[in-house]
This record gives sequence, structure tokens and C-alpha cells, in this order.
Amino acid sequence: MELMIPSHEQQLIASEPAPRVRTLQGAVIGLISNGKENTVPFFDQVESILRTEYGVSKVVRRTKENYSAPADVELMREAMGWDAVLSGVGD
Amino acid sequence: MSLACRWAEIAWQRQPDWNISVDLTSSRLTTSDFATAQETYHANGWTDGLPIIPPTAELVSACLEWALLPPEHLVGIEPVRERSITAEKLAINAVMAGCLPEHFPLVVTAFTAMLEPKFLLHGATASTGGCAILLIVNGPIRCELEMVATFNVVGNTDRASAAVGRAIRLALINLLDVRPGEIDRSTLGHPGKFSYCVAEDEENSPWPSLAEERLGESDVSAVTAVAAMAPRQIMNEWTSNPEEICETISAEIRSNQLHYSIWSGNYVVVLPPQLRRHFIDAGWSKSDFQNCIFDRARVKRGSWNGVGKGSVVKDRADREYLAMDSPDELLVVAAGGPAGGFAQIIPPWLGTKSRATTVAVGACVDCEVP
Repeated sequence: MELMIPSHEQQLIASEPAPRVRTLQGAVIGLISNGKENTVPFFDQVESILRTEYGVSKVVRRTKENYSAPADVELMREAMGWDAVLSGVGD
Repeated sequence: MSLACRWAEIAWQRQPDWNISVDLTSSRLTTSDFATAQETYHANGWTDGLPIIPPTAELVSACLEWALLPPEHLVGIEPVRERSITAEKLAINAVMAGCLPEHFPLVVTAFTAMLEPKFLLHGATASTGGCAILLIVNGPIRCELEMVATFNVVGNTDRASAAVGRAIRLALINLLDVRPGEIDRSTLGHPGKFSYCVAEDEENSPWPSLAEERLGESDVSAVTAVAAMAPRQIMNEWTSNPEEICETISAEIRSNQLHYSIWSGNYVVVLPPQLRRHFIDAGWSKSDFQNCIFDRARVKRGSWNGVGKGSVVKDRADREYLAMDSPDELLVVAAGGPAGGFAQIIPPWLGTKSRATTVAVGACVDCEVP
């Protein structure tokens, strides 16, 4: 019995991880919240640690329009100017 | 259906007379027998846990031929994961679900609706909220497929409803990896994830059908897709006053707002004949019904204090939250068995994160006829 395979067989798009950050000292770090309420205290703590323990120069806080959808293009474009990004959920 | 479908007599005399070239490109495997096929498909994670119809090239081709779609026809692209959804892959999954060729146009239409950006398919299928995709079918195709819109309408009814609803789930599993613990992060989910497809009982309702209301045309076969939670049933057999029945339904929506999600969205009300009759006898239009629910289905944030959610009321206790942003966001479906003072509300997955979408069967915006 010859049968058809039901799963997607699309070729994966080749991509590489972004270059790693060598140091956080003086870096600009973006924090992208998905918009859920508990991201606020979570990222408050993360920001505090980044500033006091790692000496980042700037923390940029942004929130997605819709927590179930990818970040919009403008936000992704802005993120290109940061040294690193942390994205998290707050459930 | 308790009144005969007007199109029943023309039903399945129709056969495709357009022989399209079916050149399937999916990979194939060989199994020795039916039982081995079951084990192979289960072992690969290609099922929903139930047995499947082994998808042979012949059965898959029959679906494509019936729908007059070439295998490579692009039904759409899921943008988050950049996955192409082709007619061939949908047909394989439809066959596995038990679809006959004549069921396949509904599967294609449903996926077309689900791939509209405002439906937000990735969020609806990945969320911890655990919604399923509810399909509501309107128009002549219900009769052609002998879909049942009366007894047990939201449960197991007829072959087409069961198979089409199941085809959606299998396609999500296999084409978008929506398996529990993979893309599907549902905490609980609900039984509608096996199959969740309802036909509207248009013949027994004087109100415009859901598709007529949303597309502005009558007698159009169409599918409405809703990212939907499990049904919540109400009962009120002790009044014929439409205002009182409206209040019972609204109270259930308010309860959902407080106990689940407070945000407005596309609530569905499935209204069977016994309760529907009271509204119609009182001269209510569908809009009157929607307006009544719209006026009553709203809560104040402070009500969270009474259901154990006081910690998030904060300083907004008097803020009012509507269940719908406008009356026409309420999706009213006339369906159900003849006896019983019941109705069901089917809440949206999560407010307006996903919007219900309605697409006519056979409508093809940017494709060419093969």
C-alpha cells in the first residue's frame, strides 16, 4: 500500500544566530514585553540587574501590540539599533 | 433538517467533468497493510490519536479533482512560521480525517478563512488558552453534504461535519506542528479540538443566516471560522418572555467574562428552536436579539472581587467591559434539536486577538481556475 505523507515538507530557511554580545558594559539592551501584566515586575527586576550588576548604558522597554502575534515591523526595525534584546512572557 | 433542504434533490448528481492533471509531489511511503499504516501514522505523530483513513494517491487526487484544484494550489501562507498551505497537503489530511471528495471544498474554504490575518492562526493554535477552531457552515452546501443542524448539533451529528472538523485539526497538526507540547501550548484544551463544525438550520429560521448577515448575500455556501472555547449551556424553560431568555443568555456571557476573560470578542450563541420560537413569536428580528444581548452582556471590573480576582481590580473597579464592541459581533446561529429550552454560548478564545472570518465556498481571490 503506497501512502502519501501528510506533514509539511517545506525546506527550512537557512539562518544563523546573531553575533553574540561580548560584554554588557555600556551596551544598549532592549526588553520586549508581550504585553501581559506580569511582564512589568519581571522586566523591572531584569532592568535593575542589568543596570546595577552589568553596567549597561541604556535599557529600552517596549511592548508588542498583540501578545499572540510577532512584533510589528517598526519595532523590529528599532531593535536593529540595540546591542541585544530580551523577549519574555509574563504568564 | 426538519424542513427539507431546497437543494436536496440536486445533491449528489453533480460530478466533476473537468479532468485536471493531478501530479502529486508529496513523498510517499509503503506499508504492508491497513494495520501497519495505522501504526506508522501514529508513530510519526501524524494523527489525533484516532485511526485514520490511509491517504492513497487515488483518494487524494479525487479530492483535488472534485474541488478543481491543482495540487500546488496555494491556499495560503501562515506568516509566523512561513508555512505554505497547499491544496495537496490539505487533501491528504482531509482524506485521513475521513472526508469524501465532496467534503474537501469546505476544508479549503475553512483554511482560507483561518489564514486571513485577522484570524491570527498562530496565536489561536499556540495559546495556553486552549481554544479550538469552530466552523459554522451556511448555504446550499449543507444540504448537498446532508449536514445535520438539529439534534445534537454541537456534538457528533453527520459524516461531513465530523470529517471536515477533524480535517482542520489533522492539517494543523501536520502542516503547522500544532501538536500538544510542541506548537500547541494549551493548558487544557477542550473536546472541540477533535472536531468542531456546526451547520446552521436555515430552513427553520426566518432570520438571516450567519453568512448572509456577514457576506450580504443569500444562498451562498460559506464557512465562518471562530477561535472558540468550549460551549457553555444555559436552560430556561420557564418563560416565553424574550427579555427574560435574553437575560439568561447574557448572564452566562457575563459569567464567562468574570470567570474566564473579560475582554470583548466574537461570542457565538447557538439558539435552538424552542427558545428561538419565543423571540420570533414576539416579533423580534435578529438585530433585536443581538441588541438585547449587547445591552446586557457587560460587567464592571469590580465584579472580579466576587470571584476571587480582587487582586487585579486595582483602581478600576467602576470600569465597564462590554462582551462585544458592537451588536453585530455577536454570532447568532440557529441550530439545535426541536425540544428543550436550551441554548449555548461559545466564548471567543481571547477577546479581539482573533476575529471571526467568513469566506464563501469557491471564492478565490487571487488564484486562477486550473
